[in-house]
Amino acid sequence: MFPLSSTTDSTTEVPRDEVRETEIARISAALGDAVVDSLVKPHDDMWIRVTADSWLRTAETLKSLGYNYFCFVSAIDWMPSPFGKGEDDPTEPAPERDMSIKQGYTGGATRFQVLARLTQPHTSLGINIKADVDDATMSIQSWTSVFAGANWHERETWEMFGIVFAGHPDLRKMYLPTDFEGYPLRKDFPLLARIVKPWPGIVDVEPMPGDDEQEEGGAS
Amino acid sequence: MTMIGDRQQLAYIAAQAADARVNVELETEGMTLNIGPQHPATHGTLRIIARLDGEQVIWAEPSAGYMHRGYEKLTEVRTYPQVTALINRIDWLGSFANEVPFILAAEKLMGVEAPPRAQHIRTILFELSRIANVSLFLGDLGVQMGAVTPVFFAFRDREYVLNLIEAATGGRFHPNFDRIGGLKDDLPAGFIDETRTVMKKLRNFCDEIEGLLFGNEIFQSRTRGIGVIPKDVALQYGLSGANLRASGVDWDLRRDQTIPMAWDKVDWKVWTHPDGDSFARCWVRLQEVRESTKIVDQLLDTIPSGPVMAKVPKIIKVPEGEAWVSTENPLGEMGYYVVSQGDQGPFRVKIRSASFNNISIVPWALKGVYVPDIITILASLYFILGDIDR
Amino acid sequence: MGLVDRGRLPKPLTTLFNLGRSHSMWVYQWGLACCAIEMGAAFGSPRYDVMRLGVIPLPASPRQADLVVISGTVTDKMAPAIKRLYEQMPEPKYVISMGSCANCGGPYWDSYSVTKGVDQIIPVDVYVPGCPPRPEALLEGIVMLQQRIKNEDMGARWRGEGTKPMTVVDGESIEKGGVPVVVNN
Repeated sequence: MFPLSSTTDSTTEVPRDEVRETEIARISAALGDAVVDSLVKPHDDMWIRVTADSWLRTAETLKSLGYNYFCFVSAIDWMPSPFGKGEDDPTEPAPERDMSIKQGYTGGATRFQVLARLTQPHTSLGINIKADVDDATMSIQSWTSVFAGANWHERETWEMFGIVFAGHPDLRKMYLPTDFEGYPLRKDFPLLARIVKPWPGIVDVEPMPGDDEQEEGGAS
Repeated sequence: MTMIGDRQQLAYIAAQAADARVNVELETEGMTLNIGPQHPATHGTLRIIARLDGEQVIWAEPSAGYMHRGYEKLTEVRTYPQVTALINRIDWLGSFANEVPFILAAEKLMGVEAPPRAQHIRTILFELSRIANVSLFLGDLGVQMGAVTPVFFAFRDREYVLNLIEAATGGRFHPNFDRIGGLKDDLPAGFIDETRTVMKKLRNFCDEIEGLLFGNEIFQSRTRGIGVIPKDVALQYGLSGANLRASGVDWDLRRDQTIPMAWDKVDWKVWTHPDGDSFARCWVRLQEVRESTKIVDQLLDTIPSGPVMAKVPKIIKVPEGEAWVSTENPLGEMGYYVVSQGDQGPFRVKIRSASFNNISIVPWALKGVYVPDIITILASLYFILGDIDR
Repeated sequence: MGLVDRGRLPKPLTTLFNLGRSHSMWVYQWGLACCAIEMGAAFGSPRYDVMRLGVIPLPASPRQADLVVISGTVTDKMAPAIKRLYEQMPEPKYVISMGSCANCGGPYWDSYSVTKGVDQIIPVDVYVPGCPPRPEALLEGIVMLQQRIKNEDMGARWRGEGTKPMTVVDGESIEKGGVPVVVNN
């Protein structure tokens, strides 16, 4: 019914998950054209992507559908890190990296996406909600009017990604000193200690002598 | 004579001025009370700023971030096995429990499942870390209300549990014992008998604490009816664990969720309390320690034989995908949203820690309470700084 | 006393004073992270019982403390508070840095918000390594510090000369410039 990620090759073996499929159909019907894409991984989890304009309406609708347990709000920066794993030798020129954006489940069109999760306590069914954040405005509606607990999570997300939550009562720094500059969880925020001196522990992923050739990287 | 008259007049003026000052004080323009960032009652470095009107709190706000260590950023530059060494330190009292959801999420993405023996031992260690965590809470609870004895009991009995964890994993505090696909090692010889003895000691400890603290009149009058959090407020703030169950929500992820752990193989009970006050939260935790000792006892009887490690490649590469796994940690629901792009390390990890949500209710819960109740409410909500700030 | 102020103290008096000072240390517990619990176990639990060493772990404020144990991760947000605490303590004052995070940043060596070592802010007398160190390691660090206090020249310290850190080699104190005591765990 819904396309799974191409890397999951066991789709045919897994039996259909009717509970989640009816649930996502119910949610899609209630949200109408706000839903851009949705995904069910059988016996695992549900994903839904909504338009940025309907972010607040999604929260209200889901709350009325019984998803009244607020789990978290956060964001994802889909840009690959220009610093890789922070393991480059600072004396050498930086290596070429593939900087094309590879979106996750339910796709997306922008660099930043907000990600939230709500749960139905009596069934323990959870749903991950995503929405694209416009790169130019970097702004999305706040959930604080629906879930009071979103207050701190949105402050954190604003501090870490620079995403503004319109309608948030008190958007100020929570973790970092007030004079801290930059948004640490953006991929282009460098970890200076790593740029000065690369991670020395990288050697321990080298294969041991005598290891099977087929064994290494078998999962890829 | 005039001298005396002048003096009298001056004294009168001074008295008037003093009265005026007292009147100003009685009007209580408000005062800001700053607790922390380093204060014994805040279990670490949480800072609470409260505006008071007399003895009443009119506005309170915790100021977090004194322990922010940037886990989410650091996971992005580490490989999967390195991440477990890091996330151990989020909730430092129940370290093993932090590893489990992350490892489960990575296993889910890889399509690996730990062998039954590993799942069983994981569950035992998980519950042991819960006991180590919550027993210190029960001891510390007394200190917040002026009873110093329980904390000595807690430290005494907690050492037995830490010895067990150390015997099995090699680390008192931060085991780093969980591997993708299983465990680093099997249990040591003599572990099962020793654990049974310790579980008995811990049940005695619970009885001691119940008699010493929960039956104490002062304790009851300082916690009963104080800091009441109704069910719907608890849900919309995302409270979890004992805090949620103390508000009457019968929800425990250990029971209500299918994850490859051994909780469904034993018989135990989820305790709830209808009151939602400080007493209820403490009481539910006490019962949880008891249930945990029962879970461990039953699991010890039924450890299946077999390997403790599934077949996984030496160099772990996790296929592309996203996974969310949360477990019922000592502090509440702890979950990891892992985004992988087929690398040796995660692309993004969102750490949903329990204390962050549990403490975000503090501005709501402290409104209108009296100053001494700040401490008891904070103590009963139970947080660990690393779990708030990450 | 006057004698100390002038910077000259007879040898027997120095020995007596140092003996007293080293066995009545009031230690302020600056618990920050995981190490705080191990520090609590060392100072508060019946098993380790720090008071038998003549250390009193319960001063009311840093103004009454001789020794501060910085245990745990020091963040950039916390650093000014630590500096302020240290300045409030009366001389002579000593610092034990407990755990890898306080020593050098530890597992957070590349973090954007962690101070890489408390010695960037205040001078440290004893480093106790470990993540977290066992309570026994902290007790050994305290014993090392006590040995150091016993061999200290108070007059020189008053004049500001005796603050050179020392290394302890095979239990024997050797005065050496600039090398602090490191407890081997």
